[in-house]
Amino acid sequence: MPDITLVEAINLGLARAMEEDPTVILLGEDIGADGGVFRATNGLLARFGPDRVLDTPLAEAAIAGVSVGLAARGFRPVAEIQFMGFAYATLDQMLNHAARLRTRTRGRLSCPMVLRMPCGGGIHAPEHHSESGEACFTNVPGLRVVIPSSPARGYALLLAAIRDPDPVIFLEPARLYRTPRETVDDNGTTLPLDRCFTLREGNDITLVGWGGVIPDLLATAQVLSDGGTEAEVIDVATLVPLDADTILSSVARTGRCVICHEAPLTGGFGAEIAARLAGPGLLSLLAPVERVTGYDTILPLPRLEDAHRPNVARILAAARRALSHG
Amino acid sequence: MAPEQDNIFRLPDLGEGLQEAEIVAWHVSEGEHVAADQPLVSVETDKAVVEIPAPHSGRIARLLGALHERLPIGAPLVAFATEDGTDPGSVVGELEQAPSTGSGARADKGEILPPPPPAKGGGESRSSSGTEHRVGPEPRQRAAPAVRALATELGVDLATITGTGPDGEITRDDLRRHAPATGMVPLRGIRRAMAVRMAEAHAAVVPATMTDEADVESWSPHTPITPRLIAAIAAAAKVEPVLNAAYDGIQMALRRNSEVHVGIAVDTEDGLLVPVLRDAHRLDLASIQAALDTLKEAARTRRVAPDTLRGATITLSNFGPLGGHFAALVVVPPQVAILGAGRIVPRVVPNLHGFAAHRMMPLSLTFDHRAVSGGEAARFLAVVKASLETPSLPKEPQHG
Repeated sequence: MPDITLVEAINLGLARAMEEDPTVILLGEDIGADGGVFRATNGLLARFGPDRVLDTPLAEAAIAGVSVGLAARGFRPVAEIQFMGFAYATLDQMLNHAARLRTRTRGRLSCPMVLRMPCGGGIHAPEHHSESGEACFTNVPGLRVVIPSSPARGYALLLAAIRDPDPVIFLEPARLYRTPRETVDDNGTTLPLDRCFTLREGNDITLVGWGGVIPDLLATAQVLSDGGTEAEVIDVATLVPLDADTILSSVARTGRCVICHEAPLTGGFGAEIAARLAGPGLLSLLAPVERVTGYDTILPLPRLEDAHRPNVARILAAARRALSHG
Repeated sequence: MAPEQDNIFRLPDLGEGLQEAEIVAWHVSEGEHVAADQPLVSVETDKAVVEIPAPHSGRIARLLGALHERLPIGAPLVAFATEDGTDPGSVVGELEQAPSTGSGARADKGEILPPPPPAKGGGESRSSSGTEHRVGPEPRQRAAPAVRALATELGVDLATITGTGPDGEITRDDLRRHAPATGMVPLRGIRRAMAVRMAEAHAAVVPATMTDEADVESWSPHTPITPRLIAAIAAAAKVEPVLNAAYDGIQMALRRNSEVHVGIAVDTEDGLLVPVLRDAHRLDLASIQAALDTLKEAARTRRVAPDTLRGATITLSNFGPLGGHFAALVVVPPQVAILGAGRIVPRVVPNLHGFAAHRMMPLSLTFDHRAVSGGEAARFLAVVKASLETPSLPKEPQHG
C-alpha cells in the first residue's frame, strides 16, 4: 500500500465508515461533485450516491442543525465545515443541542455526529481560513474534541469518532493535509479517543502540543537531542477528554514542560494543561511551565503568518529557559 | 554613590584564598565609639578564629552582620557614623529609591525588597550569600516546587543555601551539596579546610617516604623534643636546601627558600592546624621554644592570626606524644617535604660491650619526588638524625 497523506487518509476513513455502516451520511458545502475544498470527500458522491453525500447551501448553522436532527433519528452524520473560521456559526447547534441531547432526553436520544473541519494556519490562506478555535469547543461539556497530526492517526481517530455514540468535533490541521505521508492500513482499526500519543520519549523535558505544531515539536526535540537533551514529545490528539495522566506522568519524570499550540495564548487550551501542572503536577515542576502559542491578535495576512505561528526557534528558546532552572 | 560608601567597613581579605568567614562574636555595639585597631568582631574562617580590628576610630552606626552569619570577603561588616552624625544606612536607603542612582539591577529589585542599609551597587549583595541586611521579612528563596519538595524530604532549610541557578534560584544540585546522607554532618571551618587541602595535595604530589631512627639516649630526660626537631630541620635545610623549597607543578619550577619557616602540625579538637614558626634558621633553642609556646597557645585557643598560618617552607609533624612510629605523611604544595617524628621508645642496640637499651626516635621524611631526589632526601634525613643525636645543641647548628 503506498504512503498517503492526511487528507487521503480522511477520505479513506470516510469511505470505510460508509462501507461498514449505511447510516453514515456526509453533508457539507461542495463536498459532492467538487469533492470538498481540500478534496477530503473526493470520489465519494460517485461511490455512495447523492442520498449519502449531500451538498448543502452556504449555511453552517443549518449543516450542524440538520446533522443534529439526523443523529437524533438514528443516522451517523459526518458534516464538513470548509474552514474553522466558519464553524462559529455552528456553536449554538453544537453547544445547545448536539452536546446536550443525551442529557436533555435523559438518555432516550443520543447525537452520534461528527463535525469535521480543517483548522490552523501554515497554508497562506486568508485570516479567517486559518483559525485555531479549539478552545471554543473544549469548554463545552458533552463534546469530544479530536485533532490528529498524522495520516495513520487521522484515519483511526476518524473511524473512532464516527463510531462514537456522542458528538465529536474533528479538527484536521490544514498544514498537515498534504505532508507528511505515511502508510495507512485500511483495516478499520480505531484508536482510543481519550489518550495522548507519546511520539518521542525523553527524560529531560516534556514538549506538549497538538495539530499543526507537532512537526515543530519533533524538530525541536531533534535539535535538543543533538545537544544531548532528550525531550519527550506528547501529541494531545484528543483534547477532550484530556488524558492528563500521560502528561503528568511525563512531567513527573522531566520536571519541565513546554506547551505549544497555534491558538492565541490567553484562554487557549494550553492554559488548561498548565493548570493541571500547577495543580496535581506542581510538586514535579523544576521550572516554570512555558507556553509557546500564537499571539493574542487577529491572525495576520499570509505574508506575516510565519511570524505568528509557533516555530522551532521559539519552542527551542522556551525549552532552554525551562532547562535553565531547577 | 561614592561618599557614603566610605563609611562602610567591609570584611577584609584574610589571605590564603579564604572566601568567607562566620561571625562568632561582636565586640562592639551600635552607637559605640571605637578607637583604631580596637577589636570589632571575631570571625571564624576555614582556618582559624580571627579578630578584625577597627580600621579607624569613630562611632559605630550599624553592625551589618548577624551572629553566626557567613559573610564573603568584601561583604559590608560595619557602618561608621558620618561626622555630622547622619546614619549612613538611611543615606543609602534614600539614594536607593532615587531614580538617578541608575543601578539597574538594584532598581528592579527595589519594589519587592526593602532598601538594604548597606551595600551599594546591584549584583553585589545578591551574589553574597545571606548577606542582604534588610528590615522586615526575608523574601522567599527562589526554588522550583520540586526542589522545595526535595528540600523538605531531605530536611534542608532553603534559607541556609545560596542558589547557583538563574537569579540565585536554588537548584537540585545546590540541595545535594547541602544535604549529606542521613547522619552526616557537613564539614566546616578547620576540618573542611583540612579535607580540601589534603585532597588537593594528594592529587598533585608524588610522595615518597624514607625512615630512620635517631638515637637520643644522650638527651637529658626533660629535653623538649619539638624545638630539637625544628633545629634539626633548619640544619638539614642548610645542607640540602632543595627539601626547603617551593615547587610549582604546573610551571615545573622550583624555588629554594633561603629562610626556614617550619609549619608545625597541631592537633586540635576541630582538626589539623598548622601555624608557622618563622626564621627557624636564625633562632637558638630557647627562642624556638618561646616562639613555639606562643604558637601552641594561639592554636589551642584558636586565635591564630591569619599571617601565622601562611608561608611555611617545610612542615614538622611530631606525632610522637600521641603514639606511633613511622608514617607516610602528606606533603602540602608548594612545600616539598614534611618530617614526622614518632614516639621515642627504648630499643636494644649493639655496642662494643655487647648491647644496651637506647631511647630511639623514629623519623619519617616524606618528600615530593617531583622536586626532590631520593639521594637529596637521604642526605637531608641523615643531617636531621645527626643533629638530633648531638647531646647538647650548640647555638649554631653544626652541619653545613
